[in-house]
Amino acid sequence: MDDEIRMFAEGRPSAPPYPSEARERARAELLREAAGRGRFRLPRVGWQAAAAFGVTVALVGGVAFTLSGTLSGRGGESGPATRVASVVSTFDTPGELAPKPGQFVLVESETMFTSETVGETVSRHLYRTKRKLWRSADGSADGLLMIEGLAPKPWPGTTELPADAKNWQGTRWSVLASCRQTRMDYAILGELPTEPAAIRERLYAQNQVGEGKDLEVDGQVFRAVGDLFRETYLPKAQRDAIFEAALTIPGVQRADGVADAAGRQGMALGRVSHGRLDQFIFVPDTHIYLGERTTVVDAAEAEAPVGSVLALTAESASVVDRLPDAPDADRDDSCTPQSAEPTATSTSAPIPTEAVTEAATEATTGAPDPVPTKTGAVPAETGPVATPTKAPEKIKPTPIPTITKTPIPSQG
Amino acid sequence: MVGVQERLDDSTLIAQSLSEPESFAALFDRHADEIHRYAARRLGAELAEDVTGEVFLVAFRGRARYDRARPDARPWLYGIATKVVAQHRRAERRRTKAMARVSPERPVGFDERSADRVSAELLQPRLAMALTKLSAAERDLLLLVAWADLTYEDAALALGVPVGTVRSRLHRLRAKVRRALGGIDPFASEEPARG
Repeated sequence: MDDEIRMFAEGRPSAPPYPSEARERARAELLREAAGRGRFRLPRVGWQAAAAFGVTVALVGGVAFTLSGTLSGRGGESGPATRVASVVSTFDTPGELAPKPGQFVLVESETMFTSETVGETVSRHLYRTKRKLWRSADGSADGLLMIEGLAPKPWPGTTELPADAKNWQGTRWSVLASCRQTRMDYAILGELPTEPAAIRERLYAQNQVGEGKDLEVDGQVFRAVGDLFRETYLPKAQRDAIFEAALTIPGVQRADGVADAAGRQGMALGRVSHGRLDQFIFVPDTHIYLGERTTVVDAAEAEAPVGSVLALTAESASVVDRLPDAPDADRDDSCTPQSAEPTATSTSAPIPTEAVTEAATEATTGAPDPVPTKTGAVPAETGPVATPTKAPEKIKPTPIPTITKTPIPSQG
Repeated sequence: MVGVQERLDDSTLIAQSLSEPESFAALFDRHADEIHRYAARRLGAELAEDVTGEVFLVAFRGRARYDRARPDARPWLYGIATKVVAQHRRAERRRTKAMARVSPERPVGFDERSADRVSAELLQPRLAMALTKLSAAERDLLLLVAWADLTYEDAALALGVPVGTVRSRLHRLRAKVRRALGGIDPFASEEPARG
């Protein structure tokens, strides 16, 4: 198979199983038709009544999970939505960390992102979570991720929560396997170039697109910058270099006094895309990442009132010696080679085509490989800045900005 | 689970269903999951249920015209599925665009691996974006080959075009996709895409 086609084959979205009730219904309908009693239309209860089963475009920076209602059965970890509605109360102003080999960097965050369920109709809301992500400082051990669902919010301009908003409940633990393809730890990030120009060149080399202007290569690069900061802890030399490189991306604007989800004000790098201003917020002097904020600037394009906030996070990193106990944590097979889904069901006829054979052997690595590779990665000679320069200083959190509620423009 | 009928090839089964209509259900049992999977990839879970039922009804009504020389009915069923899916172009476009638009909030980054198994109903934003650049006919062909794993010959059968047309169409759409995609890796290796 050719490369371009293979990319689609490897990246094919997984498909949910055919629900047995629907299967039975369709089969019965077929038999009715066969018995000459046909001309019934299939009952169309599905999508019109319940858009909740569409594509959920609910995504978190870094590690995304769709929490589902099935969680409630798991080990009594989940609680009612009212109980998890608490908000992270304090976030310190982060200082420099000096994680040592064998230790773990813990990034705690509070997030709000958009969830869009798209079927024949579209339903949207803002889902919120509290996350804790432990990552080995040197990639020598697996990490751990905890996600706790917080009370969701209606889509700006609306007052109702869609049915699928309640999917984000409970707490979920997952192992984060560490291996060459998955590493984003302090040690490996310390191998990134420390020259802004080198970082920039690399970002653009990796996000090269062809003639399609609307693919927004600059936007891709800007988002790649966010990927490097979000839920990671970068050595200062790399932080500075990436920050400087990001400033040179066309369309990127700097803004002061932008507040994160914890109310901490920082300096933001922002860029408008799809009618939304996406901002990454930093501590001005140290370029330590505080969080991100997405604000609507074009109501039609963003499908939300101008000024409303569609994403808002705050995070804070610290160093710990060990992982907490999480016996029920989900496994992570990312580092074991075989994890592709079967391409044919056991009941259907075998599919002995060349295409399948190739897809089956090649389909093991669908995800992009994000690790900074040895090629061109210059180990930081000076080493990461490791001295704590100042003690964490407490800042009184301000409430999360309330979402503006204005009537949504009528839509067809 | 495996009855006697399972051993007949599709063609024989379809022929048999001309005199015994209800035996067509065996064809459903054999291929419904696969057709559903394909429909779900293209249109999402909820529309896929309707589409799958519809595909088999259409197939049943048209079974007299089935080419008995083809033992495997899959290309025929995928051809019907392609037409039924086409009735939902608007929904598909909306879904694809939504997936492409995910990128502002969704880093195509590192820890997605953990997300794969739980939110893998999604197509990578960049692939979704590239899909939107293709014509309907190109998209039909690409996804029959890439997602339904049809050979060029089977795809030609499904779409009712000569295999030469399939090849030239694939050639064109690959160039389009290549232009649209460029490098795939966000930050990792130096080569634009891993082969």
